[in-house]
Amino acid sequence: MDKKLLIVDDEAHIRMLIEQTLEDLEDEGVELLFADNGADALRIIQEERPNLVFLDVMMPKMNGMEVCQKVKKELNITETYIILLTAKGQEVDRQKGLDMGANKYMTKPFDPDEMLSIAEEILNL
Amino acid sequence: MSLSTADRALKHILKRDKATREILGRLCDSSGAACAFETVDGQLLWGSEEVFEHTRDLTHEDKVLGKFRYSSDKALLIFDTLKLLFQKEWEKKKIGKEVLGLYREINMIYDLSELISEKIDAESIAKVTLEEASQIIDMTHALFLIYDAEKDTVIQIARLGENPKSEAFIEQQKDVLKELITRGVSAIVPAERIAKNPALKHLKTVMYAPLKVKHRTFGMVILGHEEEVEYTAAELKLLTTISLQSATAIESAHLYQKGLKEVQDREEAIRKIHDVSQKFVPSEFIKSLGKAKITEVFLGDLVEREVTVVFVDIRGFTTISEGLSPTDNFLFVNGFNNRMGPIVRKNGGFIMQYLGDGFMALFTEGSQGALTASVEMHRELQEYNKARALKERLPVRIGVGMQSGKLIMGITGDNERLDAAIISDTVNTAARIEGLSKHFGTSILLTQECKANLTDPGQFDFRYLGRVQPKGKKQPIDLYECINGDAEDLQNHKLSNLKTFDDAMTLFLDKEFAMAAVTFQQIFKSNIEDQPAKLFLNRAAQLITQEIEDNWKGVETMTTK
Repeated sequence: MDKKLLIVDDEAHIRMLIEQTLEDLEDEGVELLFADNGADALRIIQEERPNLVFLDVMMPKMNGMEVCQKVKKELNITETYIILLTAKGQEVDRQKGLDMGANKYMTKPFDPDEMLSIAEEILNL
Repeated sequence: MSLSTADRALKHILKRDKATREILGRLCDSSGAACAFETVDGQLLWGSEEVFEHTRDLTHEDKVLGKFRYSSDKALLIFDTLKLLFQKEWEKKKIGKEVLGLYREINMIYDLSELISEKIDAESIAKVTLEEASQIIDMTHALFLIYDAEKDTVIQIARLGENPKSEAFIEQQKDVLKELITRGVSAIVPAERIAKNPALKHLKTVMYAPLKVKHRTFGMVILGHEEEVEYTAAELKLLTTISLQSATAIESAHLYQKGLKEVQDREEAIRKIHDVSQKFVPSEFIKSLGKAKITEVFLGDLVEREVTVVFVDIRGFTTISEGLSPTDNFLFVNGFNNRMGPIVRKNGGFIMQYLGDGFMALFTEGSQGALTASVEMHRELQEYNKARALKERLPVRIGVGMQSGKLIMGITGDNERLDAAIISDTVNTAARIEGLSKHFGTSILLTQECKANLTDPGQFDFRYLGRVQPKGKKQPIDLYECINGDAEDLQNHKLSNLKTFDDAMTLFLDKEFAMAAVTFQQIFKSNIEDQPAKLFLNRAAQLITQEIEDNWKGVETMTTK
């Protein structure tokens, strides 16, 4: 079965950056999915069951924390690995995010090489 | 090998993007045209597997990306749509790539600023700068150069890549480098200039940027590649930014070091003052007050301690000093103190006060050390006097008086002037005892309390000298003479007459004055240096003819200090 990776961020350039960063994964057969808000992200997660989600915390309407909580605590989707993305300086939210069920934390600006290797590791590539 | 941007864009719209595939499919259905697209190596990316008559190449920047196969011209509209979608996707990917490149640069600058902010020396900052720059700018060699105006020299403080001759070249091309640094601009060096410069022989591509803070340039970063990689304006701009950031960090590090040095200098000065002040106020005194440093001492600090006070007095100082100039006199006293001080300290005491022709020492660990020091001081002087005799100088003799008891150590004075002070009856008594040692003609005189305080009295030999009531004191004091500080002959005499002297003292206190006088005379006759024997002989002789009160206990009342 093909692996799926969801990129969630309300900022188009960040989505583009992550897509560009992870483009090598497409050659490995990973399907990249995108969402620009929390509600869409939640829907896609439910429908597509991606293996990995890069989830921005600061988003209007439903933020990353809420999405994470709904996925992990309410819908009990445990097989989806969620990495929360937060701006540098907001590390105080780290524990809160982990409490909400996030598997990992990455700060923005992220290191593209680090992001790619983490994704490869989680997707067993 | 990873795919080119164009290949990726094509693959994206034809294989991955569901929406595009759907639209293309519907276009085929509605037009009734059958078509397909395959890669240059014949792999079907999209469309029907049938064999088609016609083909069109999809080219991009003079490169064939694949073949569009179709049955009739009706399918050409689909090909045009495909070309347009490809173009859009390619542009998007190209921009994405550029944005990622910029993002990497920002990240690097971010990392760099974080890394160098932790460094406090120029060398580490330079090293990190070159390492970080090499992550994002293709280079095989780099130099971080600083111009030292004081020594008028250019120094390499960090380097990447091997170049054994780099330092020799820096020295050789000092003036060129100085000129470049002074100019303070960034540049990509033209290939022909690289070829002409022997110092750059190993490189094909070179660029440099200044290390600048405000308008002052103090160095430069030069980097290059062994291959022809051709640096872009964007890379030069990046190098300039990195260098600028590094320069600011070096400037801050320099200011920090300067500040640190000032603090260290101040601390050194304070330490020196502390060392000197410790000589004026003994550290043992400060420690006794429970303080580590003199700076922690305040007016009114005090502590009560059990101590042994030792007064040392140079006998006949006036006679000695008469023959000396004031300077020589001072030198003589200093010479004397220099000999005695170490003996006091060695035995656990410290000199509380110098008294011109002697000193007062305190021993806080019982009287054993005090008495040992007293004996050793006499021995030291006996050696010293041998040397003085050779130079025909008068011998130096001392008298020592000791008392043990409670004492208050404290800081006295006012807000403007402080002094270490001791307040105690023990001190007054010790001073009196030292005065009495002159009267008795003893080298070391101590009280009963002091003797009782000895941890190992068997080390010494004593003679009981009766009771004395010093002037201004209510209670009489029992006195003992320690004979171990006497010259060898006298000491041997006293030792062999210890029992006889004791007997004589008993007779004297039992008011058997005639018998006592005879016995004291017997002792005195065998060595006329025995001053206490002489003194008691005279007293006993006097008392023979005197009327004695019933309650006479042999207490000698002193009328002078």
